[in-house]
Amino acid sequence: MDIKYINPFIIAAQTVFKTMLGISAEMGKAVLKTVNSTSGDVTGIMGLVGDKKGTVAISLSEKGAKFVYKTLVGDECENISQDVVDAIGEITNIISGQARKEFERSGINLSAAIPMVIVGKNVEMNFITKIPIISLPFYFPIDSENTGDKEVIYVDFSFE
Amino acid sequence: MNVLVVDDFATMRKIIKNVLKQIGIESVFEAENGKMALDVLKKEAIDLIISDWIMPEMTGIDFLKACKSSEEIKNIPFLMVTAEAQKGCIMEAIKSGVDNYIVKPFTPDKLQAAIEKAKARIGK
Repeated sequence: MDIKYINPFIIAAQTVFKTMLGISAEMGKAVLKTVNSTSGDVTGIMGLVGDKKGTVAISLSEKGAKFVYKTLVGDECENISQDVVDAIGEITNIISGQARKEFERSGINLSAAIPMVIVGKNVEMNFITKIPIISLPFYFPIDSENTGDKEVIYVDFSFE
Repeated sequence: MNVLVVDDFATMRKIIKNVLKQIGIESVFEAENGKMALDVLKKEAIDLIISDWIMPEMTGIDFLKACKSSEEIKNIPFLMVTAEAQKGCIMEAIKSGVDNYIVKPFTPDKLQAAIEKAKARIGK
């Protein structure tokens, strides 16, 4: 896949984490997914259409999703509530929007719809393209006391 | 000062409410889409509208156009806060009469500055 289709997602994920959560997300090694299933416990999915077509899925573990919710809103949560699901939907929406802004800089115009959120690990998803799914992991600290605890957010996408 | 926050995501409504609270605005009405927001506007004296773009039932841009075509509510400052960052979207919002346009992700400072500007405009 052309690098110009990957960079917008990298820039988007890191910009959204830095701006909305005030933390740096460090990218790990990109991998090609061999299965069409969710990478984490809570996954926001959005189709992209326009000059190109594709799907982007933003996936976090339960712990990571609860951390994102708490950091965004300021409220504690015990489990994957509707509020947490809503927060991951909104993060998906914002990362998608930022990525589309970056695509526009490369002359590719895309539009998106309202994201859908799936709760559950290894749930099968339907990516609208037949080409391989690229999975970008981004690691972020979840402990303000600097104990080194990190979680990961996966940005999985297929684009053609 | 009464602010109407329109977004289909409760998370974003909470984030915006937190920012409003930090600058002393606690009278906040909420709606999940443009249609519900128009109902609120019929009943409440709203001083500022903060709206998302992509929403079910009635989008933010259709809601903006509805507001700006109504004699009763066209002068209420309308602040669009949206993930739609493409030039075409921003131009359409400007042509439709939006007072300010903030792209998500945003920092609280940026949203606060836009709200303060709207407050100054309406003298509140």
